[in-house]
Amino acid sequence: MKESEGFVDYPDQQMIIYVEKDDGKFGPMQTGSFLSANYLDDYFFKRRNLELELREQLTRNQISPVKYFMVLEELSVSELASRAGIRKSRVKKHLDPKHFGSVSLNELRRYANVFNVPAANLLQVILIQQDDGVEASLMKEDRPGSITVKQPSTANPFVVVTKIDAKNR
Amino acid sequence: MIIPDYTHKMAAHCESGTITSLLNHGGLAITEPLVFGIASGIFFGYFHKMKSFPFPTFIVRNRPGQIRTNIEKRLGVRFKTQDFRDPRKGEPALDQLLAQGIPAGAQVDFFYMDYVPSWERVHINVHFLVVAGKEESRYIISDSYFPDMVSLDASSLEKGRFAGGMMSPKGFIFHLDKIPAGIDYQKAILKGIQKACFNMLKLPVPFVGITGMRMFGAKVTEWPKFARDNEHLSHEIMKINILLEDQGTGGAGFRFIYATFLQEAAGITGNPRLKELSAELMEIGDGWREISLFSARIGKNRDLGQETLKKLGNMITERAVVEERFFKSLSAAIK
Repeated sequence: MKESEGFVDYPDQQMIIYVEKDDGKFGPMQTGSFLSANYLDDYFFKRRNLELELREQLTRNQISPVKYFMVLEELSVSELASRAGIRKSRVKKHLDPKHFGSVSLNELRRYANVFNVPAANLLQVILIQQDDGVEASLMKEDRPGSITVKQPSTANPFVVVTKIDAKNR
Repeated sequence: MIIPDYTHKMAAHCESGTITSLLNHGGLAITEPLVFGIASGIFFGYFHKMKSFPFPTFIVRNRPGQIRTNIEKRLGVRFKTQDFRDPRKGEPALDQLLAQGIPAGAQVDFFYMDYVPSWERVHINVHFLVVAGKEESRYIISDSYFPDMVSLDASSLEKGRFAGGMMSPKGFIFHLDKIPAGIDYQKAILKGIQKACFNMLKLPVPFVGITGMRMFGAKVTEWPKFARDNEHLSHEIMKINILLEDQGTGGAGFRFIYATFLQEAAGITGNPRLKELSAELMEIGDGWREISLFSARIGKNRDLGQETLKKLGNMITERAVVEERFFKSLSAAIK
C-alpha cells in the first residue's frame, strides 16, 4: 500500500502501519484507525442495543447478572470459569437466574474482579437520565453528558462508594 | 521516576514492539520488521469452534511469546524472565527492576489497561508492554499502541498481570540480560524465513497456514448460526477488520510488516529475489486490505446474506491461493 493511500485522520485511535514510501522503500507510518474513523458510531449503536436488550432480560429475571456481563464482555463460559477460578458447571448454573441466588459472596467478588466492576454492580443497575436522554450504563464508558459516575474501590472488597457528580465542576 | 534514557516509540505490534524497544534500549539497533521476520511472526490460524472463544475467530501471527523466544534462539540475545503464582510477589519484583533502572516487558490482559478507550478494550491475555517507571502508586507504561507514554494505577496493572483464563500471564515480566558481541543476521534471517514457510505450508494441522486460510474461506458462510442476531453477526464480521488492521498488525494482517522485513532482508543477505517477493507480498496485503474494507462495509450495511458471505469467503480463499504460491516461491528463494 502506498503511503498516500493509507493515511486516516483520526487522532483518537492512532496506530502504525507499514507502507510503501515515495522512494519505493517500505517503512512505518503513524495513522488513525479507518474502522473507528468511519464506523465507531455503528459500534456504539450495536453496543447500546445489546446493553438495553440484556438489561431488559436482567430486570425481567430472564438472565442472571453473570450472564449479562459475560455476554457484554464477550467471554465464553469456559473462559469465564477459568478467569474466575470457579468450576464450569457452577458458572453454567450461575447464568440461570433461578440458581444465581446460590452464588457465594466470594464467588460474587471473583466474578466482579473478572468483569472489572464493583461486586455491588452485580446486584444493581445504575441509570442516570441525562439532559440529552443518554443513560449512563454499568460499564465504564466515556459517554458525553453532564454527569459522571465514579465508583472508586475501597479496602473492603464488598463495599463501593458511588459518586455521582457534575462534569467539569 | 521514569528510567533515564528510555525512549518510547510506537510500533505496529505489541510483542515485536516491546522486544524491539528493549533491544534498542540495550544498545542493539534493530527495527521492528526485522524482529518480527527473524522471529517467524507471520502465521495464519482459523478457530471455528473452540471452548475459549464464544465465536469463530482467526489469528495472523505466531503463538504469543514466540517472538521473544525465537529472537533469543536466532540472535543469541538473552532475556531474563519471571512469573509468579502469588500476585503479592509480582509487584515487588517489578519495582526492584525499575529501582535498578531496568525497563521491564510485561504480559497483561488488555481489558484492564485503563488508558485504552472503552471501545478498544477486550479480554485478551497476550498484550505486551514495557513498564518504564513508577510514580507513587502509578506505573509509567510504554505501550507501543500509543503515541506517548501513559500512566496506569498499580491495581489495574496487577489485575492485567494476574488475569486468569487462556494464556494467563501469571505476572510474567522479562528484561534484557545479554546482547552478544557478534550477531549473524544473515543466518538468523534465513532461519526465520525457513520456519515461517514451514508454518504456512507444511504444519500438519488442518486449521493453520494455507489450509487454515482455506478453512476460513469455506466456513465463514456458517457464521450466522453462531450469532445471536443480525447485529451480533455484523459485529463479528466487522471484527475481521479489527483483527486484520486495528489489533496491532501493521496493516493487512501483518503482511505489510513482513513485506518490509523481506525488503530489509534483501539488503542484508544480498538476495535480490527477496526484494521482488517483498513487493509481491505488499500487493497480496492489498488484497487482505480489501477483505478488511469489505467486511466493515457489509457489517455496517447489515448486508450479511449467504451470497455476500460467499463472496467474502471467496475473497479469503483467493488469498490462500496467492499466499500458497508466494510462500512456495519464498521457500525456494532461500535454498
